[in-house]
Amino acid sequence: MRLSTLPLLLLMGLFFVIPLIMTALLSFQGTQYYRLVWTWDLKVWTDVFSQVHYWTIMWRTLVMALICTLLCTVLAIPIAYGMLHRLSRWSDHITLLMVFAFLTDAVLKTFGWVLFLDRSGVLNGTLEAIGFPAASVNVLFTPNATMIGMVYNLLPYTIFTVALSMARIDGDLVLAARDAGASRLRAFVEVTLPLAKPGIWAGAVLVFVLSLGVFLEPKVMGGGTSPLAAELIRQSFETRVNWPLGAALTLVLIVIGAAALTVFGAVALWQARRVAND
Amino acid sequence: MTDLMEKRIADVVLYGSVIAALIFFYIPIATLVLFSFTKSRFLSWPIPEFSTRWYGELLADRDFWSSLGNSALLAVLATLFATLLGIGGAFAWTRYKFRFQWGFRILTFAPLLFPQLLLGVVMLLWFSVLAGWLNLSPGLWSAVIGHVIYITPFCIVIISVQMQGYDNTLDYAAEDAGATRWQILREITLPLIWPGIFSAAVFAFLLSWGNFYITYSLSGSTRTLPTFVFSGIAVGSSPIYPALATLTFMPALVLIFAVDRLRKRAARRRLSKIADS
Repeated sequence: MRLSTLPLLLLMGLFFVIPLIMTALLSFQGTQYYRLVWTWDLKVWTDVFSQVHYWTIMWRTLVMALICTLLCTVLAIPIAYGMLHRLSRWSDHITLLMVFAFLTDAVLKTFGWVLFLDRSGVLNGTLEAIGFPAASVNVLFTPNATMIGMVYNLLPYTIFTVALSMARIDGDLVLAARDAGASRLRAFVEVTLPLAKPGIWAGAVLVFVLSLGVFLEPKVMGGGTSPLAAELIRQSFETRVNWPLGAALTLVLIVIGAAALTVFGAVALWQARRVAND
Repeated sequence: MTDLMEKRIADVVLYGSVIAALIFFYIPIATLVLFSFTKSRFLSWPIPEFSTRWYGELLADRDFWSSLGNSALLAVLATLFATLLGIGGAFAWTRYKFRFQWGFRILTFAPLLFPQLLLGVVMLLWFSVLAGWLNLSPGLWSAVIGHVIYITPFCIVIISVQMQGYDNTLDYAAEDAGATRWQILREITLPLIWPGIFSAAVFAFLLSWGNFYITYSLSGSTRTLPTFVFSGIAVGSSPIYPALATLTFMPALVLIFAVDRLRKRAARRRLSKIADS
């Protein structure tokens, strides 16, 4: 152990590990008259597991997260490939433009989407001007709008990870496949995609885990009509002041995310070993 | 299918998806910029008349100025701490060898893999306990700590990437020539990894500046720009927010292009040095 790792270890220990342990402990307590009581029982957990309401929201969160992961991953592949192999001269500028959009305040961007998709927003106004009926796109304040927002905010993660792993691929391998008579598509599917797999999976897992905790998009773009788990957690802390419940729900999400990461890590390790053994 | 046809289709799909992605990313941003110049109180399309009226209203809003001040203070403090810790972390990641290094890497990377709201909530629980013991309430201080926890992993990664190509023999040479460790750090290591540190700092600043989830959970009653906007649009859309967005886009754009310039110049200088030798 080096001395220079100490400040970081101290910080992560004090404000990341201890809070996690605290959350776990808190989920075994109770509340009475909006105050925390140290009871040490499983009441909150039996509540969490027995109430259908929580499970519908958890299930919805999981489904939304999976759809969002699939969309972000599938969309990122042609975008990353195109950036590297068609617009390579501009790829620096394109990356900068994407980084700027990515780093801009998410609340403002989400609000921008509301103004764009609104019944009297830019999209509907423009469509009306070219002859469509008034308010023909009615997507705002539906789960579809939430999905647009989630993909919007998380797509950069997959684009960057996929592009990073595609940039490392030796171009000669693709050329060799082409020389051997493979069509462009076949060379892409059988050479480029397998080699880019680590980046594709890493991006997918990252997006899946991050999409478990979205709360801005369902609230602002989804109109709060079909809340996701993060909204449930926020409510149990703020509106209902039931900290043990909030802690337990937070843990459920953390466990789902950690399970996804562990499976990914194990598979990645196994693959790396297999490559090393070959 | 002929090869030419296949190439055509591939071109259309690839060019098309990159261009579509850029349009997609800039839809809300362009929408906000457009609406910031409306004269009307209602944000509906087409814009009936243009004016800079809402910029005036925004600049006269006292809450805007106090949130701007809080955002700036928070971002500066978070950047400072996250960058310094990021430098230390990157050294531990790439240049040292020690037991439990993998554990250290996982621990220092983990906050990046956390949904931000959960990170905020988990820390809020702890801060509330701490605040009870120490008799203070969550505010800017807890938001700073939260931002540092969240942003430091990004800084470590960015600086580590810069250190990947670092030539260790330079340090040994300097050591042989009698330089102290502090001199090596100051005169050789830091100047060489400087572009990485600078981009990490800019990234940290912008991540903190635009952060909503962690600030929302941890800042108590202190408002920053994102939480100020959130509380405003939750009540009903006010026409000052597009103007606010447009004004706050500018510094970010300048910063990002400055980083790019610096990075390219550093790369060119390195190339020309290799050519000279």
